[in-house]
Amino acid sequence: MKYIYRSFLSMWVTFRNIFRKPVTDLQFPRTRRERADRYRTSFALVHDEHGEEACIACKKCQMICPSDIITVVAGKKAESPRTGKSRGYLDDFTLDMNACIFCELCVQVCPTDAILMTRNAPRPEFSREDLFLTREKLFANEPMVTWATATKLAEMQDPDRGQDKPASAGEESTEAEAS
Amino acid sequence: MDTIAAIWDTIFTNPWLHGLFFGIVIATVALTLVAWSIWFERKLAGRMQNRVGPVFVGPAGLLQPLADALKLMRKDFVVPREADKALFILSPVLLMFFALASLAVIPFGPDTVIADLDLGVLWVLAFAGLMLFPLWMAGWTSNNKYALFAGMRAVAQGISYEVPMLLMALVPVIYAGSFNLQDIVRYQADHSWFIVWPPGPGIVAFVIFFIASLAEGNRIPFDIPEAESELIAGVSVEYAGMSYGLFPFTEYLHSMIASAMASVLFLGGWSGPVFPGIHWMLLKTAILFTVILWMRWTLVRFRSDQLMRACWRWLVPISVVVVCAAAVLRYFLLAGGAP
Repeated sequence: MKYIYRSFLSMWVTFRNIFRKPVTDLQFPRTRRERADRYRTSFALVHDEHGEEACIACKKCQMICPSDIITVVAGKKAESPRTGKSRGYLDDFTLDMNACIFCELCVQVCPTDAILMTRNAPRPEFSREDLFLTREKLFANEPMVTWATATKLAEMQDPDRGQDKPASAGEESTEAEAS
Repeated sequence: MDTIAAIWDTIFTNPWLHGLFFGIVIATVALTLVAWSIWFERKLAGRMQNRVGPVFVGPAGLLQPLADALKLMRKDFVVPREADKALFILSPVLLMFFALASLAVIPFGPDTVIADLDLGVLWVLAFAGLMLFPLWMAGWTSNNKYALFAGMRAVAQGISYEVPMLLMALVPVIYAGSFNLQDIVRYQADHSWFIVWPPGPGIVAFVIFFIASLAEGNRIPFDIPEAESELIAGVSVEYAGMSYGLFPFTEYLHSMIASAMASVLFLGGWSGPVFPGIHWMLLKTAILFTVILWMRWTLVRFRSDQLMRACWRWLVPISVVVVCAAAVLRYFLLAGGAP
C-alpha cells in the first residue's frame, strides 16, 4: 500500500514539473556559455622579454610528461645575439595532443617559462596528424597564452619558496632524499 | 461524379476491397500517429525533467521523427555471422505484422472498423500473445547472451501477464454478452460505461487490464526484457538500422493498441456526446497513452521476482474474484437478467 501511495506521489511530482520553466534554456550548439577564466585547451611556446625564443631545450618537460608525448630536439649551444650570454636553442619541438592529459606538469617544470597553456577554442580535427602540435603551431598560439607561467604557479602554490622556512621544511627535504 | 460514387460503392460493398481500403488507411494513420507519438513522448519527457525536448528539426522539433527515421534507414543492416539469418530478418517483420493485425478489429467509430469480427476480443488478445514469438525469435536467433536473456524474460513475463489480461477482458464480454468489440461499445453507448456501472468489478478490471497490458507491451515499470542497465537494449541488441527501429516502433504501436483496447472495453470506445465517435475514441486512447508515458518517465523498474509475485499472487487471484463478481452482477443488475 505504501508503495502504491508513493508511486502516485512521484507521479504528482513529474506532473508538476511539466509546468515549470525548463532549466536548459541555453541550446548548446547555437548559443554557448562564455568560457571560464581557468579554461585550458592547448599549448603555446613563447618568446622571452628580449624577443628570443624562451625555450632553452633543457628537456625537463619531455622527462616529466606522464604520457610521454613531448619530443624536444635540442640544437647547439650558442651565444645569444641579444644578451651576449651562452644559452641552448631549440631545433624542433612536438607535442602530441592525441594523448595529452592536460596535467600542466610541463608548464610547471619549465625553468624559463617557455611553455604555457592557452585558452583558444578546442579544435576537433579530422586526422590524428592534425593533433600534433608542431613548433610552428605552438608559436602561433602565443597570443592566446594565459597568466599561468611556471614562476607564477610556483609563487601561488608555495609563497615561501627560496626563503627561510620553519623546521618542517628540513624534514621534507630529507624525505625527498630518502625516496 | 457517378463513376467516383460507383467506385466508392464497390469499395464499401465488396468485403475484400473494403478491408484493403480501410486497412491501408488505418494502418497509415496509425503508423503516422505512432511516429509523432514518439515526438510527443520526447517532448513530455523533456518537460517532466525540466528540459525542453527536441527543438531543432522543424518548428518545436516537429520534424524530429522524420529525421530519426531517415537516420535509421541510412544505416547498414548487419546480420551477425553466427545468427540464424532467415529468422533473424523475419522476426522484426513478424513483430510489426502482428502489431498491425490487432488494429483490424478495433472500432474507431460506429462504422470505422476494418473487420467487424464476432470474436474481436479474442483476435486482439491472440495477436498480443503471438507477439511473444517474434520477440523470442529475435532473442534466440541473434546468438547473443543479452538478447537471449531478454527473449526469455519477455516470454516469461508475457505468458504470466496474459492470464489476468484475458480474465479482465472477460468482464466486458460477460456484461455485453458478446465477443464482438462493436457490440461491446454499442452496449456501453446504450447503457453506461463498464468502468462506472455496474459498480465495482468494472474499475478493478480496468486497472488490472491496463497494468497487464503495460506488462505485455514491455513498458516501464515492467520493462525488464529490455532493462537498459542490465541487458543493453533487450532483444534488439544485435539489430541495426530500420530493423532495429521496428522494435521500439512496435512497442509504441502495442501500447497504443493497448490504450485503444482499454478504452473500447471499459471506457465506452466511440460513445460520447456532441462530437462524432472517432473523436471520442481517439481522445480516450490519447489520454490513456499519455498516462502510459507519464508512468514511464516516473516509475522505476520491477525486479524479475517482484514482477512474477505481483502477477501470480495479486493480479491473478483478484481477477478470478472479479470475473465471478461480474457474472453475479450481470445476473442481478444489468438489463436482460440471465442470458
